[in-house]
Amino acid sequence: MRALLWSAIAWLLVTQLVAQSPPQSLPTDRRNFVACPILRDTRTNPCWLAQYKGETYFLGSLGGVSDNFHPPQLEHEVLVEGTVATGPRVCGGIRLNPVKLSVLGEIAPACNAVLPSEDGIDAPAPQPRGKPDSWVKTDEPGSLTIFFEFGDDFMSVPAGNALKDLVKHFTSSGATRIEVEAFRGATLLSDGNVLTEHALLAQERLAKVLVILKGLGLPERVINARTSEAVPKPDGVNDQRSRRVVLKVQQ
Amino acid sequence: MKYSVAVATTALAFTGLLLINAQDKVPGANAPASKHWIEPGADLVLAKEMSYSDSTGRLGVINAQGSIATKGHPFFETIGSNARACVSCHQPANSMSLSTETIEERWKATGGKDPVFLAIDGSDNPALPQDLESSHSLLIKRGLFRVGLPWPPAANANPEFTIEVVTDPSGVNRDPQWGLKSAHPAISVFRRPRSAANLKYVLAPDETGFNVKRGTLLDRDPDTGLPESMNLMADARAGTLRIQAESAYHDHQAGKKGLTKEQIAQITGYESQVYSAQLWDTEGGELVLPGGPTGLGPVAVSGEPGTLLSNSASNPVFRSFEMWNSEGATAFQRSVARGADIFNKRSFWVRNVAHFTSIGTGNPAKRTCSTCHNTILAGNDHAPGWMDLGTTNYPTWTEPKVGEQGSVLPVFRLTCRSDARPHPYLGRVIYTSDPGRALITGQCADIGAITAQQLRGLAARAPYFANGSAKNLMEVVDYYDRRFDIRLSAQEKQDLVNFLRVL
Repeated sequence: MRALLWSAIAWLLVTQLVAQSPPQSLPTDRRNFVACPILRDTRTNPCWLAQYKGETYFLGSLGGVSDNFHPPQLEHEVLVEGTVATGPRVCGGIRLNPVKLSVLGEIAPACNAVLPSEDGIDAPAPQPRGKPDSWVKTDEPGSLTIFFEFGDDFMSVPAGNALKDLVKHFTSSGATRIEVEAFRGATLLSDGNVLTEHALLAQERLAKVLVILKGLGLPERVINARTSEAVPKPDGVNDQRSRRVVLKVQQ
Repeated sequence: MKYSVAVATTALAFTGLLLINAQDKVPGANAPASKHWIEPGADLVLAKEMSYSDSTGRLGVINAQGSIATKGHPFFETIGSNARACVSCHQPANSMSLSTETIEERWKATGGKDPVFLAIDGSDNPALPQDLESSHSLLIKRGLFRVGLPWPPAANANPEFTIEVVTDPSGVNRDPQWGLKSAHPAISVFRRPRSAANLKYVLAPDETGFNVKRGTLLDRDPDTGLPESMNLMADARAGTLRIQAESAYHDHQAGKKGLTKEQIAQITGYESQVYSAQLWDTEGGELVLPGGPTGLGPVAVSGEPGTLLSNSASNPVFRSFEMWNSEGATAFQRSVARGADIFNKRSFWVRNVAHFTSIGTGNPAKRTCSTCHNTILAGNDHAPGWMDLGTTNYPTWTEPKVGEQGSVLPVFRLTCRSDARPHPYLGRVIYTSDPGRALITGQCADIGAITAQQLRGLAARAPYFANGSAKNLMEVVDYYDRRFDIRLSAQEKQDLVNFLRVL
C-alpha cells in the first residue's frame, strides 16, 4: 500500500497529466495507453500482453539489450504507443505494429500478472534481429537521432553503437564540429490525456550523450551542445520520436 | 627452506595419474589445503604446475610463465606497515582466495596471531578485544573481511539516498571511530576475497566498450585509456590490477609509502599468469582425460579462448560434457553431464534482478544459469557483471528473515530521494546488508548490485556468494532454486553441485 502511495506521488512529480480541452483525437487504429503488462508463458518463449478498454493487445515476445524490442517489466506500468496491425491475434492479443514500450520508473507491485502456458497459444517464432529503428535513425552519414523511452535517459546498445559510428565518421571525414540537441517530449494518450516528460530530462539526455562523445575521444571544443526546452504538441502518432537527441556532424 | 611440494612437479603435465602419483610421493601433498599455507615472507619456489587437496578432490594451479620464487616478490612479501602480504588473502591452495576451512586452521594454529586476523579488516570491529575468537567471527565462520567505504561516496558527494544503520551486530557501523557518525564517516560491509586466478577472463572488457548496465561507456583504464571490464571487484570500485593492488596495499596492508612501479609490475604480472581449476575429484577421479570434456583442468583455462562470450547451444561456457552422457561413463560423470545440461539449457524465470531484467531483457526473463555466467571457461558475466541478484537486499537476502533469529551482518535502511530514479524492484526504501555498487556510485538503481563471480576452483574456496552465506555448493543451488522458483529435483540439485565442483 505504501509503495503504491509512493508510486502515485512520484508519478505526479515526474510527469504532468493534463486533460486536453477539447480532447484531441487519434487515428482509429492508434492505441496509446498506460497499463500493467501481462506475461503469458508458452511452451517456448514468453508473450507480453496488455489490456486497454477491455481488449487485449500483443506487445511482443523475445527481446534483449541489443534488440529493437525491449520487453516490459512486471512490477512496473508500461506506456504503450502502437498501431493496430492487420492479421490474426498473437498469443490471444491484437498485434500492435509498430509498437514502442516505455517502462515507467516507479514500482507498481500490482502489475504482477503471469498467465500459464495454454494449449493452442504459442509465441511467434523468433525473428531475425531487425533494424533498431525504435532506438536510432541514421538518414545519412554524419546524421544521427537517438530515441528514448518515455521519462528515461537510458541509452540503448544500438544507440551506443550508432554513436561510435558517428564519432568514427567525424574523425574520418575531417569534420570540425558536431551539433548536439536534446529534447524532451509528450505523448497524447488514447483517452485524450497527455503525458509530459519532466523538465530536466532533455538536460539529462544531453549530459549522457556528451559523456559518451567525450569518452569516445571527441574534444569538448568541437561539440556545440544545447537543449530544447519547448515540448512539441503531441499528435499521438509520432510522439515517441519527440524524445530524442539529434546529432549532426558539420564539415 | 624450500617448499618441496611445489617444486616437485615442475616438469610434469596435468594430464593424468602420472601427476597425481608423482605428487603423492611428495610429503604432505595429500594434506588439506590449509597445510599448504604460504606465510608472508616465505622462501619458496612455486612450481609451474601445482596441485592441492581440497574439499572434493584436488585443485590444479598453473603459473603460466614458469616457477615463481616467493622471496622478495611483493605479492608474497610484507610490503606495507603490517605483517600482511597479498598472499595472506589469496592463497594458491584456495584457488587464489581463502576458504573458511583454511581460516579456521590458521586461527587454531596461531591462536589468532596470524596477520590475516588483523584488527583493521580481519576483525568484525577493530574496537573489539582482538584476542577473542568471537571478535573475528565473520572471518572465521563466513570468510568475510571488513570493507570500510567512505560515506558519502568519494565519487558522488550528493548521493541519491540516505543511509541509516538499523542493526549492527559487531558495532562497527555505530562505533565512534569507525562508524557512520565518526570523524571520517564510513559504512562497513563484509565481503569474501575474490579469486585472483584466471583473471584474463575477469579483466576482458565487453568488446563494444559499452556498459549495457547503465547505458554508457565502460570505465577506462587511466593508464592505457582502454575500456575496463568493471568485473574485478564486488562493487567494481577498482577496475585494474594496478589500482586494486595499490588500494589493497593501503587498505589491507596499511602501506604508507606507496608501491614502486617494479612492485606493481611484479604483483600484476604474477596475478595475470596464474590459473586454477579442479583437476581430480574424490568421486569422479581424473577430470582431465583423453576424450573427456575439454574445458576441465587448469591447462584448459590457461589456453587462449577463440571467443569470450559463450553460446549455450554451439559454444557452452565450460565446453561440452556430452561424452560423459553415455553408457560408458561413470555414474558421477553422467551426473556432471546432466548438471552441465541444466546449467546451460534449463530455463527459468529470472525475476526482479536489477541490472539484468531492468535493462531490456524484460522482467521476468526466461533464461538459464549460463545467461549471466557466460564467459567462456571462467563463468563470470562478460558484460559488467554487477546486478542485484537479491542476496543482500530484503526480502530475498540470504540472511534470516525473522528478527528473533538475527543476522550476523549489519542491516542498513536506504531511503532514495524523491527526484531520483528508484531501485527498479524495491522502490525508495530498501533494507540491505550490503548496498554493493551503490556505495560507490551513490545511485539507487545500484543498491544491492554485486559483481557475478567466476566459477573456477569452487571446491577450494568455500563459502560462496560475496557475503559467504552459502557454506557449500548445495546451499548455492538451493538459494537460486528458491529465489527463482526453479523447482529442481533433489537429483537435479546434486547434478548441478557435481558439475560446479569439478570446474
